[in-house]
Amino acid sequence: MSRQVTFTVIGGFLGAGKTSLLNNMLAQASDTRFAVLVNDFGALNIDQSLIKSADSQIMQLSNGCICCSLAGGLVDAMITLMRHRDSIDHILIEASGVSYPRRIMDFARIDPDLRPGMTLVLVDAANLASQRNDPRLAEVIAAQMDGADMFLLTKTDIASEGEIADAHSYLTATQPLAPVLAARADDAEILAMLLTEARDKQQAAPDMSMPHDGFISMALTADGIIDDPAFRRTCASVSGEIIRGKGFVHFSNGLHVWQQCGRLIDIDAASAGGDGTSRIVLIGTGPLDAAKGAFGQLGFRQLSA
Amino acid sequence: MSKTTVFAAKDIITMNPSRPRATHVAVRDGRILAAGSLDEMAGWGPYELNEDFAGHVLTPGFVEGHAHAMEGGIWDYTYVGFQDRWDPDGRRWPGVTSFDAVLARLKEAEARLPDAETPLFAWGLDPIYFGGGRMSVTHLDQVSRTRPVLVLHSNGHLLNVNSRILEMAGIDASTNIYGVLKDDAGKPTGELMEMAAKYMAYRQTGNPFFGGIRTPSLLSYAKSAVNCGVTTATDLYATFNDESLAAYEEASLTPGYALRLMPAMNTIEQPIEEGLALMRQAMAMNNDRLHHRLCKVMTDGSIQGFTARLKWPGYFNGRPNGLWNMEPAQLAALIMRYHEAGMHLHIHTNGDEASELMLDAIEAAQEAHYRPDHRHTLQHCQMADASQFRRMRKLGVCANLFANHVHYWGDQHAAITMGPDRARRMDACATALREGVALAIHSDAPVTPMAPLFTAWCAVNRLTESGAVLGPDERISVEAAMHAVTLGAAYTLRMDHLIGSVEPGKYADFAVLEGSPFDVAPQALRDIKVAGTISGGVFHAAATRRD
Repeated sequence: MSRQVTFTVIGGFLGAGKTSLLNNMLAQASDTRFAVLVNDFGALNIDQSLIKSADSQIMQLSNGCICCSLAGGLVDAMITLMRHRDSIDHILIEASGVSYPRRIMDFARIDPDLRPGMTLVLVDAANLASQRNDPRLAEVIAAQMDGADMFLLTKTDIASEGEIADAHSYLTATQPLAPVLAARADDAEILAMLLTEARDKQQAAPDMSMPHDGFISMALTADGIIDDPAFRRTCASVSGEIIRGKGFVHFSNGLHVWQQCGRLIDIDAASAGGDGTSRIVLIGTGPLDAAKGAFGQLGFRQLSA
Repeated sequence: MSKTTVFAAKDIITMNPSRPRATHVAVRDGRILAAGSLDEMAGWGPYELNEDFAGHVLTPGFVEGHAHAMEGGIWDYTYVGFQDRWDPDGRRWPGVTSFDAVLARLKEAEARLPDAETPLFAWGLDPIYFGGGRMSVTHLDQVSRTRPVLVLHSNGHLLNVNSRILEMAGIDASTNIYGVLKDDAGKPTGELMEMAAKYMAYRQTGNPFFGGIRTPSLLSYAKSAVNCGVTTATDLYATFNDESLAAYEEASLTPGYALRLMPAMNTIEQPIEEGLALMRQAMAMNNDRLHHRLCKVMTDGSIQGFTARLKWPGYFNGRPNGLWNMEPAQLAALIMRYHEAGMHLHIHTNGDEASELMLDAIEAAQEAHYRPDHRHTLQHCQMADASQFRRMRKLGVCANLFANHVHYWGDQHAAITMGPDRARRMDACATALREGVALAIHSDAPVTPMAPLFTAWCAVNRLTESGAVLGPDERISVEAAMHAVTLGAAYTLRMDHLIGSVEPGKYADFAVLEGSPFDVAPQALRDIKVAGTISGGVFHAAATRRD
């Protein structure tokens, strides 16, 4: 099979910051050829000199990225976009606040040319309370929340501390398995890392470095065979703590690469054979106690820092 | 001096209250000069008397305020619906009443395709009438195992495909997606729903219904209009781009084009300011037969598809509430800006929550930018109650109600979607009129057949497919129904100064009927034959109906 195109869904209501995030992703797209599907090209921050060609459907940029209009509907936009699939590495979909992210991610689950990436839902901390109180949005909010692998809490610079705390506790109470990342100044860099590094299968060994302040990380190791179903269950049960998880794990049928971003879990056979040891790294914003305990049950122990 | 033609008719129903009936109408330069008796025409100078219609009844040309020009082009694909339909050339497509009949129809169509790869598309399937059972790959593989076969259901949501499509799309027992239906053994049945599954099917063949209208469809659309007495029709969900705008212009300028076209730009297909610019570009292309003015807004889905947005108590069978097409706040912002820019909005609202959202938005827009005569129109507006009609009256909002729906889906609405009580007030024409709302009624062709006399029959009788009367108190008079398909619809399009009645100065557009709607029993309204139309003073014969 030819190389798959990663498919990421960026959800959230109008004003939650989806476009800013996409602009940041495009600005940093040095070695990833992104295709962004958006409602409005005009909202993207595209340097006119970068535009190689454009019609009402598709705009091609000289850095290899493509912008595609969602105006005629997602089905037709995706059909149009996939005609260019050999020149795309990664699709980013701007999902309107009233869309059902799970139904959108189904595109990647049904199309063998696509690989499901993260569904990241942006939540406007300053407006969540009023959105939750609007009966016209009740099912819509539930569907949005339910589809998220991870939340990014935005507008934390203008929301009050109370609003931020309320939003945080609402999200953790209703979606305990999806971690919440609060927006910070270095968002773009962190998110680029989350959205793209998770797909890098070529590295020979997991990168154990912890690139950012404010995150807690933990390296674990285990000897002997790890039970595959039990490992997957553990990953799913502690996903609320795991902003990022990665590593190599020995199952009875060989070495596997494990990648996780919140609820998105990816496990693939590794190209290398390994030395019989499983090594993983967990990254979160909290103490990671539950995750450490749960992986401990499988035989993992913490490496000294 | 221009030539004057006086048409004599058995009866001319003018819809003009100052002169409700006439025997003659004088036409000059494609416009109505006068209506009355032959004596009254004489003072306008010499004329040529045309007695071709002396045995016919003339009414104002019918105005279809909510249909789609796709009605013209969809006959390139195979019709497999339950009811008989006639295509623009008058050919009858008998309704298919069993899976065997569907397959026979498809095999016939398959045999006519030019090569081995061209996909076979069919539309209109309604197996709900086949007494249970669902269509599957087993059925469609009998048509072909090697050629892609796709059958779209009448509800527009379900798509059946054959095993060729499943193979091409890589859909098999291991595919575990909501929307790929499976049998008891876990194999896909070929029944697909929701975006992802349909994307995978259309990715193999292309989506035949995508990309904006083209001239041939618009030419066929005019033929369909002639066949049912329509002289002005909307294309109420139009993709605007250079190609489609050129097609509207080309069709409208085609000599002998029998229709006045009113496209409505889909506002959601482009950012607001681009949409406004497109509208200005389009309006500069207007001519006598092309009237760009309307802007379409989609708010929610359909009631029978459970995607309409309902107020409490929601769906009768307990299904969750429907889907918004855009965030409510975005919809409100869109209404505000288009209203401010002076545009004329036609707004799809099926459920009453959607209607309420739009009435709130129009009220806010009126408070911010008062326009005394905007004529924004709620389209379908099927669940509006009396209080919403009162708000519409106050806000100057018109209603174009989906009368045909009562006939085609009324039984299902009473039993499944709305329950017997609320179903009585669906498409509440009588309430709309009682509350003083400007009223039109429509077919939404090709969803249901375009035929204003049938639509009027639906509003007058409210008979469902099973023969029940759904909401007898919402029935309206023949007079009111005839108004709704002529002057009423013209008003909602801001065209009532040009069309909709037989009055001096208006376009000489008539429906030529074999009988008078006022001389038959109300139950027989739909049976009156249409001989054709006169458009701008020129007669166009309806296609002869044939098998």
